Amino acid sequence: MKSRLPLALAVMALAVAVPASTAAAKTTISMSGSTSVAPLAAKLAKGYLKAHPRSVSFRLAQGGSDVGVADVAAGRVSIGNSSRDPKGSDPGGLVWSRIARDAICIATNANNPVSGLTQAQVQAIFSGQVRNWNQVPGAGVSGPIDVVVRTAASGTQDAFQKIFMGSSKVSSSAAQKASNGLVAQSIRSDPNAVGYVSLAFTKGLNDARYKGVACNLRNAKSGQYEGVRNFWMVTRGRPAGASLKFIRWIQRSRAARRITATGWVPLH
Amino acid sequence: MARPASPATGPHRSDKRAELLLGALASVVLVLIAGMVVFVLAKAWPSFSHNGLAWFGSGGNVDTQLIDIFNSPANPDKYEYTFHAWPLLYATALVTLGAVIVGLTFALFAAIFIVEFAPNRLRAVLEPVVRLLAAVPSVIYGLIGILVLVPFVGNHLISQGRKESVAYVVQLSGNSLAVAVVILTVMITPIMIALIVDALRTVPRSWTEGAHALGANRWRVVWTIAVRAARPAIVGACVLATARALGEAIMLSMVSGSVGFAPNPLDGLTFFVEPVRPLAATIVDNAEGLSVKPLGQTLYAFAAVLLISSLFLSLGAWLVRQPMKRYGVRP
Repeated sequence: MKSRLPLALAVMALAVAVPASTAAAKTTISMSGSTSVAPLAAKLAKGYLKAHPRSVSFRLAQGGSDVGVADVAAGRVSIGNSSRDPKGSDPGGLVWSRIARDAICIATNANNPVSGLTQAQVQAIFSGQVRNWNQVPGAGVSGPIDVVVRTAASGTQDAFQKIFMGSSKVSSSAAQKASNGLVAQSIRSDPNAVGYVSLAFTKGLNDARYKGVACNLRNAKSGQYEGVRNFWMVTRGRPAGASLKFIRWIQRSRAARRITATGWVPLH
Repeated sequence: MARPASPATGPHRSDKRAELLLGALASVVLVLIAGMVVFVLAKAWPSFSHNGLAWFGSGGNVDTQLIDIFNSPANPDKYEYTFHAWPLLYATALVTLGAVIVGLTFALFAAIFIVEFAPNRLRAVLEPVVRLLAAVPSVIYGLIGILVLVPFVGNHLISQGRKESVAYVVQLSGNSLAVAVVILTVMITPIMIALIVDALRTVPRSWTEGAHALGANRWRVVWTIAVRAARPAIVGACVLATARALGEAIMLSMVSGSVGFAPNPLDGLTFFVEPVRPLAATIVDNAEGLSVKPLGQTLYAFAAVLLISSLFLSLGAWLVRQPMKRYGVRP
């Protein structure tokens, strides 16, 4: 048996190598990344296929902005979706193309119709200075505030910190959820909860006005609502080939603009 | 090769071929496991070497530390690594031990009932159902937890006063140790039942019949002969269940609390509704940040701890089983 081990290993190596060499032949645009960008990316891909039937095929995975950035830097996908702006520690050689803008809403449970919050109130609540709904005017419930935020790696968290929190830090006792959907679910099931989600995830929740402006598409488009961040498609090097065509189409065509405008803020 | 094919060499050669193929498959498994251990440890090394033994200790807030690691500067010399994993290790131990102890109690009696006491008709339904339950994907349990159990505990079992009493330390929203243990128990118990049932069945009939002949009643025979003989298999069932519980990530990430908090047993009943976040769930929750090198290395350190503890688990179970084997059966 001993003498046959190398042979066995060779057979094994062959078995591993064969599936790897059967790569795809048709042009595929693969995307991964932000859970906030994913719904928009899916709609855009569908629209692109309608405009250019059978030109490419799409593969869309999620995972979070940082996953998208890491995947595209490593060459695992053609486009990485990111809902956060580029930062210093990102891998080099990436090109960021802005595709849309998106509103982040401060949301509470439907039974707790907080009408509006000032920036100072948002900061006090999320940093843990104010911990009881009694101290928040307009709250429909009493008792401790359950703060729900996103994990550090989330693009939404990054944007929330920059736009709403400024220099104050999110309380360390806040529950950190891994996706927009989980935050929305936590708020829906807990009357005392408050959190922030991308505009596309606010169904069934109460969106609080921020600085007196309601969180909706119209106010985000007009620029009155301040809690707006960028959506990016990231490529390794300048976009080329099918990716270039797709990103150009998103940025320039009317059809893409119409699709984007259904739930997000188009660029132009 | 030039030998003429004869009826005698035909089957012999195909035997050899099968041996080669199976040997190759077995070596794939070995190489994969060895490669995985080396890979994970190599990836995790910077996190361990920066913190030393303090990595396993307590100090500071784990979530703040994770955020600081995530926000490390781009310069590799200035990467942030400071991390004290105690609350996560403690949470992993609490949730796993809690579920295995409760689960074992249930599983043992359920298995005894199925094998010795259940009427045939009931047994014919019970057994397939148990085996089916053992195969339910964990994310389904997670969904039930997050949609039903967590809101129920948060809105009906935890009083406002209890929430307010700890509001400055921790949020009690229903995501809790108790919910995590309950769902994990439901997840691992069917496997344990199935394994213990198999073991009890393999106890030689002559042993139990001998005991009956000596005048022992049914319960006594089961407890002193069958269960005793099945002990090695029961330990094996516990090990498998513990391994599943240790590695369970998705469900725990959904229900257990999303905050690295170490529940304090001195808090009385509040202890059970305090949030926890075990190691595997922390990996899932922070997987988004894998691209940030120091955070990735810290997550690999969690993986290394889980991997090594499951290795020690198998070793420990082997040691425990040795003295039991003398009068034991193995399915």
